[in-house]
Amino acid sequence: MSEEVKEFPGNGKRRLTFTEEENLRQYLEKERIGVFICHCGTNIAGTIDIDEVVNYAKSLPGVAFAGDHKYMCSDPGQNLIKEKIKELGLTRVVVSSCSPLMHELTFRHAVADAGLNEFLFQMANIREQVSWVTIDKRAATEKAKRLIRAAVTRVVFHKPLEVRKVPVNPNTLVVGGGIAGIESALKLSEGGHKVYLVEKEPSIGGHMAKFDKTFPTLDCAACILTPKMVSVGRSENIELLTYSEVEEVSGYVGNFKVKVRKKARYVNLETCTACQDCVAVCPVRVPDEFNQGMSERTAIYRQFAQATPNKFLIDKRGPAPCKVACPIEQDVPGYLAMIAEGKYKEAVEIIRRANPLPVVCAYVCYHPCEEWCERKNVDEPLSIRELKRFAMDWAVKNHIEMVPPPPLERRDEKVAIVGAGAAGLASAYVLAQKGYQVEVYEASSVIGGMMALGLPPYRMPRQMLKHDINYIEKMGVKFNVNQTLDKDFTIEDLKNRDFQAIILAVGTHRGARLGAPGEDLPQVEQGLDFLKRVNLGEQVRVGKKVCVIGGGNTAIDVARTALRLGAEEVTIVYRRSKAEMPASGEEFSAAEEEGVKFEYLTLPIEFLADENGSLRGMTCVRMELGEPDESGRRRPIPVKGSEFFMDADNVYLAIGLVPATDYFAGSEDMKLDKWNAPIVQTGSWETSIPGVFAAGDLVTGPSTIVKAMRWGKQVANAVDKFIKGLDYSSEVTDLPDPSVLRRNDFINPKWRADYSNVPHFRRSEMPMLAITERIRSWECVELGFSEEVAREEARRCLQCGVCVECWECVKACQPKAIDHFDKDEVLELEVGNIILATGFKTFDAGRAKQFGYGRYDNVLTSLDFERLSHSGGPTGGRMVKSDGTLPKAIAILHCIGSRDQHYNEYCSRVCCMYSLKMAHLIKEKIPDCEVYELYIDMRCFGKGYEEFYNRLLHERVHFIRGKGAEVNDYPSLDPTLRFEGNGKKSGKLFVRVEDTLLGIPREIPVDMVILSVGLESSADAGKLQQIFKLSRSKDGFFLEKHPKLAPVNTASDGIFIAGCAQGPKDIPDSVAQGAAASASVMALINTGEVVLEPTTSHIDEEICTGCKTCITVCPYDAIFFEEVKKISVVNEALCKGCGTCVSACPSGAARQWGFDDIQIESELSAILKEYKREPEVTASGGQRI
Amino acid sequence: MAEVTTIDATTKKPIEVSGNGFEPKIIGFLCWWCAYTGADLAGTARMKYPPNVSVIRVMCSGRVDPSFIVKALREGADGVLVAGCHPGDCHYINGNMKTAGRMPLLKRMLAQFGVEDERVRLEWISASEGDKFAEVVNDMTEKIRKLGPLNLSKNLEAK
Repeated sequence: MSEEVKEFPGNGKRRLTFTEEENLRQYLEKERIGVFICHCGTNIAGTIDIDEVVNYAKSLPGVAFAGDHKYMCSDPGQNLIKEKIKELGLTRVVVSSCSPLMHELTFRHAVADAGLNEFLFQMANIREQVSWVTIDKRAATEKAKRLIRAAVTRVVFHKPLEVRKVPVNPNTLVVGGGIAGIESALKLSEGGHKVYLVEKEPSIGGHMAKFDKTFPTLDCAACILTPKMVSVGRSENIELLTYSEVEEVSGYVGNFKVKVRKKARYVNLETCTACQDCVAVCPVRVPDEFNQGMSERTAIYRQFAQATPNKFLIDKRGPAPCKVACPIEQDVPGYLAMIAEGKYKEAVEIIRRANPLPVVCAYVCYHPCEEWCERKNVDEPLSIRELKRFAMDWAVKNHIEMVPPPPLERRDEKVAIVGAGAAGLASAYVLAQKGYQVEVYEASSVIGGMMALGLPPYRMPRQMLKHDINYIEKMGVKFNVNQTLDKDFTIEDLKNRDFQAIILAVGTHRGARLGAPGEDLPQVEQGLDFLKRVNLGEQVRVGKKVCVIGGGNTAIDVARTALRLGAEEVTIVYRRSKAEMPASGEEFSAAEEEGVKFEYLTLPIEFLADENGSLRGMTCVRMELGEPDESGRRRPIPVKGSEFFMDADNVYLAIGLVPATDYFAGSEDMKLDKWNAPIVQTGSWETSIPGVFAAGDLVTGPSTIVKAMRWGKQVANAVDKFIKGLDYSSEVTDLPDPSVLRRNDFINPKWRADYSNVPHFRRSEMPMLAITERIRSWECVELGFSEEVAREEARRCLQCGVCVECWECVKACQPKAIDHFDKDEVLELEVGNIILATGFKTFDAGRAKQFGYGRYDNVLTSLDFERLSHSGGPTGGRMVKSDGTLPKAIAILHCIGSRDQHYNEYCSRVCCMYSLKMAHLIKEKIPDCEVYELYIDMRCFGKGYEEFYNRLLHERVHFIRGKGAEVNDYPSLDPTLRFEGNGKKSGKLFVRVEDTLLGIPREIPVDMVILSVGLESSADAGKLQQIFKLSRSKDGFFLEKHPKLAPVNTASDGIFIAGCAQGPKDIPDSVAQGAAASASVMALINTGEVVLEPTTSHIDEEICTGCKTCITVCPYDAIFFEEVKKISVVNEALCKGCGTCVSACPSGAARQWGFDDIQIESELSAILKEYKREPEVTASGGQRI
Repeated sequence: MAEVTTIDATTKKPIEVSGNGFEPKIIGFLCWWCAYTGADLAGTARMKYPPNVSVIRVMCSGRVDPSFIVKALREGADGVLVAGCHPGDCHYINGNMKTAGRMPLLKRMLAQFGVEDERVRLEWISASEGDKFAEVVNDMTEKIRKLGPLNLSKNLEAK
C-alpha cells in the first residue's frame, strides 16, 4: 500500500465528501482492483444481469480486472482470483457473491494464498441481500451495481492487517448433564482433556433418566444410561459440578472465563454414604418432582436411586416467614413438625436452641410469627404460641429436665450482667453458650425482672419461670441477688473483679408521673409498684372503686389484678380513644370480658382527698383528638369546660416507664439521653464507657420480652467479638421488615402459588377459663391445647420453606455429613471451549385446557406415564388409574403442543415414536387393555422406526387418524357421534376426535388418557441466551451456525450446542450431536491456537485529548488511562472489536481496524452517488472466462 | 431507479405503490451478529422486499456514529435504518443500548432540520427474525415513499 493513501484525510475525523470526488478518483486510480462476480449457478445469475454488472465494474476507476464465474467458491473460481492477483498485480480484491457469513474466509484465504494481505479484500453480498429478495430483475441488477461500487470504493481504504493468534485452553465446559452433555464430556475425557460438567439438578441424567424404555429397541433407559453416568462419576478428567449453574461468561474462543454457582447442598459430597438414615427421620413431605409429583419425598433427598453423584441434599427455599419475623429467629417450622409427629422432647430441644426463656414466651409472647405466617394466605395463621405452650407444658408436666449442650469452648474471660430481666438473661444465655464465665447481679430478691415482678400470675403461673432460670443456671451462669448497682457495687468494682465486659440490662423500673396536684396521696400509686407488691406476696388491699390511668399492657395487667383483689368496679382511664390504645388486642378483650370499664378521651387533672387525707376521687377533663404527633397518633387536646368528677378509692398510674439510673446522673463517663438512658453506639450498643454495654428496655424503653431477648442476645454477640478483639460494630440490628420477604421464595412446590389445592382447616383457638371463675382466682386464664388439638394444629403448617430445620437428620447421620450452615460457592473456571447441552422442557399440558390435564386425575402426560411405567416410579411400575385399579382402555393423543398454531408450529419429532412405545408397554403389561392412538400423521423416520410401527399395527392397537379434540368426564349428547351417550358421568373419560379416514366425528370412552406432549426450549433458555450471548431461532431453541453444514456450531466461535438445546431430537441424534460437539472442540484443542479477527479498536495518541469518554462506554474495560501522557489506551488483548468507543469519541482519536470511519463513510457515499472512470482511461482487464 | 414492486411479507402479494414513482434511497446499518444475519435469513427463506435498502455492515450497532446518519441524509439518502440485537442479547454486552441512547438525541436534532421521524429508524432484529427484517424494510420504504424525497442538502442551502 502506498504511503500517500495512509495520509488520506480520512485518517482524522475529516469526512470524505463527494465535493472531493476528484480526490477520491485519484486514490482509486492508484490501486489495481480486481472485481470477481459469482453466478452461484442461477441463484444470482437468474435474477441479476451478470454481463451488465461486469461491464459496470470495469467502468469504475481503479478496477484493473472484472470477471465472473459460475461458482466463485469452487476451486476454479478461487484459482481465478489467485491467477489474476499474480498475473495483473492486483492490489485489492472485491468478490461479489453470497453473504460474507458463508464465504468471507474462503476468499480471504484465496487472496492470502496469492500473496496479498487477506484484509485488502471486501465482499459484496448480492445473493442473500439482492437476488434472493428482489423480484424485479432490473432493480436487482441496479442494486448489485450499487453494492459493488460501494465495495470497490471501500476496499481502497483497507489496510493490511495481521490476524491475532492466541493459545487455546485445553479445558472444556459442558453445560447440561443429560445424555448429550454426558456424551460430550465422556468423549472429551476419553481424548485426555479436562472437562467441567455443570448440571443444575442434583444429579446428571436429564430427561433420559426418567424414561422407562427407549424406542424402537425397547432398551431399558436406565440400563443404557447408568453405565455412562457411572463413567462420568469415575472419570478423572471430568469435574462434575451438579446442583450448579453458570452465572457469567466472559472472554472469547480459546480463553473463556466462567463463573459457576455451586448451590449449597447442606450435605457433604465426600462423606455422605447414601445410607438413607436421614430420610427415615425427616418430617417434611413434598411432591417428588422426579416422579412428576405423583409421589412424595422428604426435604433431604436424592433424585433417584441411580443418581450421580449418589449423594443426598437438602431442599431449602429460604427461611420461613415465621422465622424471619421472630425477633430471636426461632426455628418455628422445626418444632411444629416435631409436635405434629408427636416428638415433643425434640420440639422442646429445637425451641431451646434459640430461645433463652421459652416457657415465658410460650405464655406471654406477642407472637409476630403468627402475623407473618404463610398459612394466612390460605385460611388463618397457625396458633404458634399456643403450640409452643403445649410443648413447654408437656416438658414441665412430664418432668423432662433438658440438659444444656456443653459450651462450644471454655473461655476464662468473665462477663458481668447487671439486671436479671429478659435482656440480661438472654445475654447470659448466649455468653454461657460461648463458654464465658458469666455472673448476673440483680437488685431485687428474685430473678426474672419484669417477668417475675410485673407479670400477673393469671397470665403465667409464677412457678413456670423457674424452669427457664434453672436451665440458664445449669449452663453455668452465676446469680447474685439483692445486689443493687451503686448501693452494693459500682462499675469500677466490677472492673476490679476482672470482668472483661459489663452488660447493663437494668430495664425501666420508674413509673412516669402525671404532674397533677394530689399525685402524692397514699392511694395514688404507680401501677408497676402495685404489681411488684402483689407478685412479691404482699397482702395488698384495694378499695371498691379502682381507676387505672393509661392504655398500655401494664394498665390492663393492673386492672385485671385489681379485679382479682376484690375491687368492685375497675375503670381504665385513657386520654386517647380505643383505636390509639397500645395494649395488645388479646389482653384488651380479656379485660373487657372480665368486666373492666373503659373511659376514653379522659385525663385526670387533680386528685382530691377527703377530710382524713384519703383519696375520694379525681377531677377529670374530656379530651378531643387533634393533629398526629411524632408517634403518628393523634394528639389529645383538653376540651374547655368539660371538667367532671370521678369517684375513686384507689388510682394506679400506668402512663409509661423510664430507666431508674440516678446513679449515672452527673457521671462524666456515662453519657445519658433525656430519658436517662445511656447513649449507645448503633450496631454494638456499647455505652460511652468502653467495655460497658447496654441492652434491652434500658436502651429502647419499655418493650416486649421477646424483643428484649433479641437485643440481649445481639449485645452478647457484640461482647463476644469485643473480647475476642474482632469487629463488633454491626451485631445489633433492627427488627426485620416484612418487605424483605419476597413471597415467591417461600412457595412450597406442594402448594401452588394460588393455594387453590390446600384444604381449609380453621385455626384451633386457645381454650380459656370461664369468666366467672377467672376473676375469683389467680388461675392461669389460658388452659392450653390438648395433645390431639396440638398435633392437629401443628399439621396445618405448610412447610413453606421445605426444610424445617429440625436437625433430626444431623442426629441420624452417622458419618456427620450434614451441615445446615452450608453456603453457596462461586467457582471461577478457565476453559477454551463451551458445549451447551441444556436440553428441553415438555409442553405444559395444562395450557391446553380442553384435554383436562390437572382437572381429571386420569389424564396424564407422556412424561407422567414414563414414571408410572418405570419400576422405580411411584407405583413400582404398575400402570394403574388414580384409584389403583387397572385401566381397560387408554387413549394416547398425539401432537399436544406441537404442530399446533396455538402453541408450537413445529413437529417435536419424538412423540409419534414414544407414543408407539407407550402403546407397546401397555399391551405388554395389560394385554386386554384397548389402546387408541389418535394421530395426525405417523412420523417414523429413523432407523428401525417404520418397522416398529408395523409391529404395533399387529399388536392390536387402534390407530385413529385425527387430532384429539377434547376430553370430558361425561359423554356428549350429540346423536351424530358414534358412541351415543346419555350425558351422565360414569367414571370414564370421553375423548372426542374426528376420524379423518372414516370422515366421522367419534367419541371414545376410556379409563385413562395420555397426552403426548411436545418438546419446548428449556425454561432458562432465555437466561442462557444472555449469559452465553447466543441467538435463538423462532421456536426458542438455540440457533446453530448453519442448519445443515454447522449444526453444532453457533455464531460465537468456541461455543457449541448439542442435543435438544438445538431443537427436538431423539436419543441417537442427541448422542451424535454430543459427540460431534466434542469432536469440534477437540479439533480446536489439537490446533492449539485460535485466530482472532484483528478488528480491534486503537487510539491515535496525537489526537486523544484524554476525555475518557471511551473508557465509560467500553463494555469490556479494555481501555485504560495512561496517566503520564494523559491519554486513553486500548488493551487490544481485551478489546472485542465492537467499535462503540469509536462512535463515542468526540475528537476522532478512537479508530477501529477494518471499520474505520473512512471505510464506512466511503462505502456509504458510494452507495448514494454514482461515479465513473474518467473517459480517457481504458480498462485493462475484464474478460469473460 | 427502475420500477419495482413491493411485496407484503405476510400475504406475499404485491402492495399498491403509492406516490408518483419516487423510489427512496435507504441506508441500512446492520450489526453483524443479529440484524445482518437476520437479513441474510430473509434471503435464505426467499422473502421478498423492495431493493431500496442498501446494507452496510458494522460489528455492533454501537459502532453507528450519529454522524454517519447525518452524512447519509446529507448525501442524498431518504432514510436510514439502524438495526441491532434485541436488548439483552447484544454480542458485545450492551453496545446496542449505547445506540439506543444516542438515537433519540439525534432524532431531536434532525427534527429541527425538518427531517421527519419516520426517515430514521432503530430496530431490534435477531438472527432468526428474517421476516421482521423484510417487514421493516417494506414498511419503511412505503412510509418514505409517501413522504417523498428528503433533499436535505438542497433544503439547507435554500435556507
